[in-house]
Amino acid sequence: MTLGFTRLLDAFLGRGESAITVPALDGALRPNRKLDEAAERIPVESPSGIAAESGGLLIATGNSVRRLNPDRSWTDIHQAEAKISCIAAIGGGVAIGLETGAVNIVGGRFDGTRIEASADARCPVAIDSAENNLYVCHGSATNGPNAWQRDLMERNASGSVWLHELGTSQRHRIAGELAFPAGVSVARERLLIAESWKHRILRLDRATGKVLDIPLTDLPGYPGHLTRNSAGGFLLSLFAPRSQLVEFILREPKYRRRMMAEIEPRYWVAPAYRAGRSFYEPLQGGGVKHLGILKPWAPTLSFGMVVRLDENCLPLESFQSRADGITHGIVGAVEMGGHIYAAARGDQLIAKLTIASGRAAP
Amino acid sequence: MTFSDAVTYWRYRLIPDHIIGEILAKRWIDNAIPFVTLIIVVAGFGSVMPDFFGVGGLETLTRELGEFGLVVIAMMIVMLAGGIDLSVGSNFALANIVALALLNVYGFPVWLTFIATLAVGTAVGLLNGFLIGYLRLRAFLTTLVTLIIVRAIVDMLLLRLSVRVSAGNVDSDLWDYLGDGTVVGVPFGFLLFLAFALIAHIFLSRTRPGWQLMAVGGMRRSAHNVGIPVRRTVCLTYVASGIIVSLAGFLFAARLGGAGSDTGFGLEITALTAAVLGGNSLGGGRGSAAKAVFGAVITLIIVNGLVRLGAAHGANSFVLGFILLVAVAVDVRWLRNRHKFLAKVYVSPVFKSLPETFGTERNSSSPFALNDKLREVSLIGLGELDGPEDVILDEDDNLYAGTRTGDIVRFLAPDYKKQEIFAHVGGRPLGMAFAKDGALLCCIGGMGLYRVGKDRAVSKLTDETNRTPLSVIDDSRLKLADDLDIAPDGRVFFSEATIRYEMHEWPVDSLESRGNGRIICYDPNTGTTRTVLRNLLFPNGICMTHDGASFMFAQTWACSISRYYFAGPKAGTVEMVIPNLPGYPDNINRASDGTYWCALVGMRTPSMDLALKMPGFRRRMARRVAPDEWLFPNINTGCVLRFDEQGRVFDVMWDLGGENHPMITSMREHKGHLYIGGILNNRIGRLSLSGVNASWSGPRSYWGDA
Repeated sequence: MTLGFTRLLDAFLGRGESAITVPALDGALRPNRKLDEAAERIPVESPSGIAAESGGLLIATGNSVRRLNPDRSWTDIHQAEAKISCIAAIGGGVAIGLETGAVNIVGGRFDGTRIEASADARCPVAIDSAENNLYVCHGSATNGPNAWQRDLMERNASGSVWLHELGTSQRHRIAGELAFPAGVSVARERLLIAESWKHRILRLDRATGKVLDIPLTDLPGYPGHLTRNSAGGFLLSLFAPRSQLVEFILREPKYRRRMMAEIEPRYWVAPAYRAGRSFYEPLQGGGVKHLGILKPWAPTLSFGMVVRLDENCLPLESFQSRADGITHGIVGAVEMGGHIYAAARGDQLIAKLTIASGRAAP
Repeated sequence: MTFSDAVTYWRYRLIPDHIIGEILAKRWIDNAIPFVTLIIVVAGFGSVMPDFFGVGGLETLTRELGEFGLVVIAMMIVMLAGGIDLSVGSNFALANIVALALLNVYGFPVWLTFIATLAVGTAVGLLNGFLIGYLRLRAFLTTLVTLIIVRAIVDMLLLRLSVRVSAGNVDSDLWDYLGDGTVVGVPFGFLLFLAFALIAHIFLSRTRPGWQLMAVGGMRRSAHNVGIPVRRTVCLTYVASGIIVSLAGFLFAARLGGAGSDTGFGLEITALTAAVLGGNSLGGGRGSAAKAVFGAVITLIIVNGLVRLGAAHGANSFVLGFILLVAVAVDVRWLRNRHKFLAKVYVSPVFKSLPETFGTERNSSSPFALNDKLREVSLIGLGELDGPEDVILDEDDNLYAGTRTGDIVRFLAPDYKKQEIFAHVGGRPLGMAFAKDGALLCCIGGMGLYRVGKDRAVSKLTDETNRTPLSVIDDSRLKLADDLDIAPDGRVFFSEATIRYEMHEWPVDSLESRGNGRIICYDPNTGTTRTVLRNLLFPNGICMTHDGASFMFAQTWACSISRYYFAGPKAGTVEMVIPNLPGYPDNINRASDGTYWCALVGMRTPSMDLALKMPGFRRRMARRVAPDEWLFPNINTGCVLRFDEQGRVFDVMWDLGGENHPMITSMREHKGHLYIGGILNNRIGRLSLSGVNASWSGPRSYWGDA
C-alpha cells in the first residue's frame, strides 16, 4: 500500500523510478574525441559484428564475414544465408548469429554446427565461448536483432542467455527475463552480461545462470558488445546514448504507442546507430546549429563510446565520439596486436585506436 | 480526426490552462494569499458573532485601525528597506505620554504639542537610524535595545506624571475632534490612516526615493553599486517609522486621553505580524502599502475578535505568535518556490493537427523534391556577422542586415566585401522594409517598430497597441515584433510572433502551438497602432501583394500561408493560400515575376507532428525535461520556395545538411540575385538567378521610380 502510493507519488513528481535523469559523463567517462581522432579509419559498409581471430580481424557486414588484410582491403571468407547480427571467434572458426535467429559455426573445430532458431530464441545478438560451451544471448523473445529500437520502446525484458554444449548438442536456457542482453563475455567461472535496457553489467554463474552481482550500473548509454582485452579486463561498446528525452518518452506509453504505430522507425524518438542524417528525424533544443556549428554537447540520439574496464568492471578509460563526431554507433570493439578496433555501424567504418602506453590498468 | 483526438482537441480548446500561468506571473498575485486570509477571517468572525461587523463594532474597529494601521505602515517601510523596528511599541507609548503631559500638565496648545510629539518620535527614529544606517549595527538588536530604553523612559515619565495627566483636562475642540470626530460617519483617525496608506503607496511606487528604498531592500550591494545612498536611505526609514508611530501615539492620546504602563505593550509583535501577514517580506524589497493595510485589518479583526469571544488570558498572544510563524513560513516558501512553480505551469500546449503535406523524395514529382540548388551560393560576410534574420537591398544595391548585437550593418555594393554599421538600434533587428521616402523600417524584437532614416537617425514608430479586452496578460506592449510590410498608403502592417514569450524564448512557443501571435497595423498618418488579427500561430513573414489591397502572411507553427485583405471588396477577410507546407514558413518577399519568395526555416518532423496532437505529452515534457533536450521543430535544414497567389509552389531550393545555410529565415530578390539570411547564421548567401528580370528591385517594385 505504502509502496504503491510512493510509486504513484514518484510518477507524479518524477522521482525515483520515474526520474528521467541520465548519468553525467565523468571520471573515466569524461567526454573526449578519441574515436574521431583514431589513427586509422577503414571504411566498411554497415559492420554488424567484429571479432579478433588468430588469422586477423573479422567483421560481419550484410550477409558476409570478411577478414582485414594488412593492406586495408577485405577478403570475404563466408557468405551466410541471411543478414548477420553478431559474430564471435570460436575454436579456430567463427560463430555467426543471423537475423533469422539461427547460429552457425564456420571453420575450426566445430565447423558445420548449426543451431536453429526456436520460438523463444530467435534474436541472437551476442556470442562467446569457453571450451566446448557456446553462450548465446538472445535480446528479445518477440523482436529480431534489427528491431532493437522497437524492443526498447516496448520496454521488453524478454531476453535470455543460452548455453550450447557443442560436444553433446544439448542446450539450456540459463537466464531469462533480461532486458536485451546485448553483450556476453566469459570470465573464468562467470559470465558477464551487458543488459542494455537496464544500462548495466550483470555477473552470472556460468553453469546455472544465477545472478551473482551487478558490477557496473547506471551507464550513460546502452551497453552492447563485451570482450576481454589483453590486460585481463574488458572492452565494452555502448552502441547508443541514453538521453533525457528518450528516458522521458519511455515513461510516456501513449506517445510511444502512437509513435510505433504511425511513424517509420528511422524517424522515431529513439536511440540509433546514427542520427541527424535526415531532417525528418527529431531535433532537440540543444541540437539547433548556431552560426553553422552543431555543438559537441548537443543532445543526440547517437554517439560512439568504447569503455575499457578492469577485471572488476571498473571503467578505466573511454573512447568517444560526441554529438558532432564522425564515429557513431559502435557495435563492437576488440583488441588485437596492441590496437583497439572499433566497428562503427552508424558511420560505416572500423576505427583503429592506439592504446596509450603506460595507461594500462593500475 | 479520431474520436480521442477530438476529445483532446475540445479539452484543450475549452479549458484555458494558460490563464493559470499568466495569473501567477502577475505582480499582484503576491496579494492573493493575504486577500484570501482576509476573506476567511471576516467570514469566520462574522459568522461566529453576527453583530461583530455591526455599526458599533465597525466604529470601534476603524478607530483602532487608524492608530494600529499607521504603526503597521511604519513597520512596513522599515521592513521594505531590509530592516526591522521593534521599538515601535515603546515609541508609541512615549508619544502618547508626551502628548498628554504637554497638553494636560504643561498646558501647551494642541498644534505645539503635535509638533513636539512628532519631534520626540523623530528623535527616537533618528537614534535608530543613525545606529543602524550609519554605524551599521544590527537592526534587530539595536531596536530591541531602544525598545527597552524608551520603555524605561516611559515608565519613569509615568511614575512622575501619570497622576497629573489623569487629573488634567483639555479644553480643545480640535483635540476632541482628533479623538472622536468623524467625517461623514467615518472616524477621523481611520481616514488619516487611509490617506497615509495612499501617500505611502504613491511614495513607494511612483517616486525616486521610494524606488531607491525598494532597491536597497531588494539588494543592498547592487543599490550601492548603482549609486543609491544606502546608509542614508536606511537611516531615513527609521526616521519615517519614528514620525509615523508618534503620530499614531498622538491619535491614541487624543482618543483615550489616558496613559498606563500597558500602552503600546506588545505592539511591535502585533505590527510585525500584521506586516508579514499582509505579504511584506522580512528580507526586504517586497512589500506595499496595500499589503500593510491588508495585514493591519486581518490582525486587528483577529485580536478584537478573540477579545470579544472572551478568549482566555494569553490566548491572544499565543494565536498572534502562531499566525506570525505561519505567515513567515508561507512568505519564505512562496518567495522561494513561486518562480519554480511558475516555470512549471506557464507552458500550456494545445492540440494541433497539421494536415498531410508534400513529400520531399529526390527526383520525385513533388514540388519539394530535394535538390542542391543552394550549394552554389557565394557567401557574404562569413564569420563577421551574427544572425542576419532579414536582409534587404536599397536602390544603390547596398545590402542591409540586422544582427544579434543590435546593429543594422550595411555591406557596400558592388562586391559586398566592405561593411559598416549603418545604425545601432539595440534590441534584435528582425524584418525590414524600405518606405517610400527611402527610410528603413525595422521590427525590433523586444522593442517594437522603428525607423532608420536615410540620415541614419533612429526613431521609434510604435511599441504598443490596444490591449486585448479581458486578457490577463498585458499584451499592449510589443514583445516580439517580427516582420513588416508597407501598404501603398503608407500604413505599416507588422506581425508580432507571440505575446506570451520574450524574444529569446521563441522556440518555447512552438511547444504551445497556441495562437499567441497577432498582426498589428501602424498608421503613420494618425500615429495610431491597432491590432488587426489575433490568435495566429506565430505569424512571421508579411508581404504586400501586387493589388495593393491585401498581404500574404505566414504562420510558422501552422505551416501555412494566408492572405489578408485590408482594403477593397473583401476587406477584413482572411484566405488560406497554402495550408500544408512541409516546413515552417518564415519571411515572405516579392519575386520579380509577380510571385512570392518564402523561406522555410525548418522542416516538420513526424515525431513533432505527433507530439502536437498530444498537448499533455508536451506539457509534461516542458515540466520534466531540460529545455536543451526538448523535442523541437527541425530548424537545422530549410529551403527557399516561390509561390503564386493561387498557392502553387515552384522553384524549391535546398541546401541539404545545411552546409552553407543551416537555417534560412529570409531571402530577398534584387537585380537577378537572391540574398539569403538566417537568424542563427554567420553569413549571408548570394545566389545568381537565371531567367529573371535582372533590373528588378524591391524598392522600385513598391514605390516605382520615384
